Amino acid sequence: MPTVVIAPSLARWLTASPGSSVAERSCVVAGATVREVLDAVFAEYPTLRGYVTDERGALRHHVVAFVNGVAVGDKGRLAEPVPPGAEVHLFQALSGG
Amino acid sequence: MSDRLLVSTRKGLFALARGAAGWGVSGVSFLAENVTLAFADPRDGGWYAALNLGHFGVKLKYSPDAGKTWEDRAAPAYPDGEVVATADGKPPHSATLKLIWALEAGDATQPGRLWAGTLPGGLFRSDDGGKSWELVRGLWDRPERMHWFGGGADHPGIHSVVRDPRDPNVIRVAVSCGGAWTSTDGGATWDVGTGMHADYMPPELRENPVAQDPHIMRQCPAAPDHLWIQHHNGVFKSADGAKTWSHVPTAAPSGFGFAVAVHPTDPKTAWFVPATKDERRVPVGGKLVVSRTRDGGASFDVLRAGLPQEHAYDIVYRHALAIDATGDRLAFGSTTGGVWTTDNQGESWMPLPARLPPVHAVTFIP
Repeated sequence: MPTVVIAPSLARWLTASPGSSVAERSCVVAGATVREVLDAVFAEYPTLRGYVTDERGALRHHVVAFVNGVAVGDKGRLAEPVPPGAEVHLFQALSGG
Repeated sequence: MSDRLLVSTRKGLFALARGAAGWGVSGVSFLAENVTLAFADPRDGGWYAALNLGHFGVKLKYSPDAGKTWEDRAAPAYPDGEVVATADGKPPHSATLKLIWALEAGDATQPGRLWAGTLPGGLFRSDDGGKSWELVRGLWDRPERMHWFGGGADHPGIHSVVRDPRDPNVIRVAVSCGGAWTSTDGGATWDVGTGMHADYMPPELRENPVAQDPHIMRQCPAAPDHLWIQHHNGVFKSADGAKTWSHVPTAAPSGFGFAVAVHPTDPKTAWFVPATKDERRVPVGGKLVVSRTRDGGASFDVLRAGLPQEHAYDIVYRHALAIDATGDRLAFGSTTGGVWTTDNQGESWMPLPARLPPVHAVTFIP
């Protein structure tokens, strides 16, 4: 089953009010497409959904998912396959001040 | 007088309290996060905080215990298939939530009722304390909405939601840029107010009520037919519940600004924090002042005691000037992180001994 690694900047929002120091989080979930894998992650961490996807279910504009190091291109449908044993990284753009 | 304030900043929500030594920071929530608006619900004392996390979207949080703990609430969501136009020639595109720009409680007979004004232009209603939201179709489906446009943002937005204390079904909203609207039936139907003008627009659009850019609209709680607007084009007032508006040409030292506060019982008294003009958004002469009228806009006092008068470039955003229930105490916060308070209607001001992040919004805790 794929392993999903959630970057610290996202993992800190697994609680309603984040603490000062949160490490990355990883979990092993079922799923054969990006959508299925993300839905499995959201089943485990329901509040994470609104941080990773927008109200249309698309990956947020400045959030990226890598499957075995390759960025997911179709951020709307999220239909790209995820091989068994793949590593999926959820990450965000680096910006701001 | 209220001894507590909530200050929403680019990098956290700061609770301020007034003690024997004056005002100070009593608590911080969401440190380093972009808190765009906060609201203390007078019905249960709970605090709502709206966050705009950029990459991760817009969030709404609720604290039942004055900021000790926070819970997630739902952010308003636009239904699938809804589009927003910008009236500047760009094609319509899918409507998704960009910002929670106004929060208002229902009245005491409506526990759980909240109103949220948002970018890109939707008004939302909740009847469960923000756990779920419904788009107010009566306003969203008005054909004029497709002629609203963004002012200082890519999208139009509702920044003012004013509930008439005499009747919970009377709701007034103001839109940048889309005018000032009133519903007398709980949001089912709406009418736009007339009389504002935007001299910077093409001649055909200057007096179009839907092309107006009110920056903020506030009412006098004891006389709710009296409302004031700080508009992109100057100060306007209404004496008939936002049906008609008249220009206040005497505003000094300038008519441009974002914020207004209205005295809770005297509708002739209002405060503004002016900037030079649209294309020069700094205090006139680098001197930070508050202007006040006590005679319905016939004349203005320019108040500067205690405010920086040398190279001060503080701008006060539309939600960042607040007045308490007595009408004597006001507070405001600036884009350069200054916070000032007064206990004498602005005759003299005291600075908060702190340098805060840029301030988005200030509100008293009732």
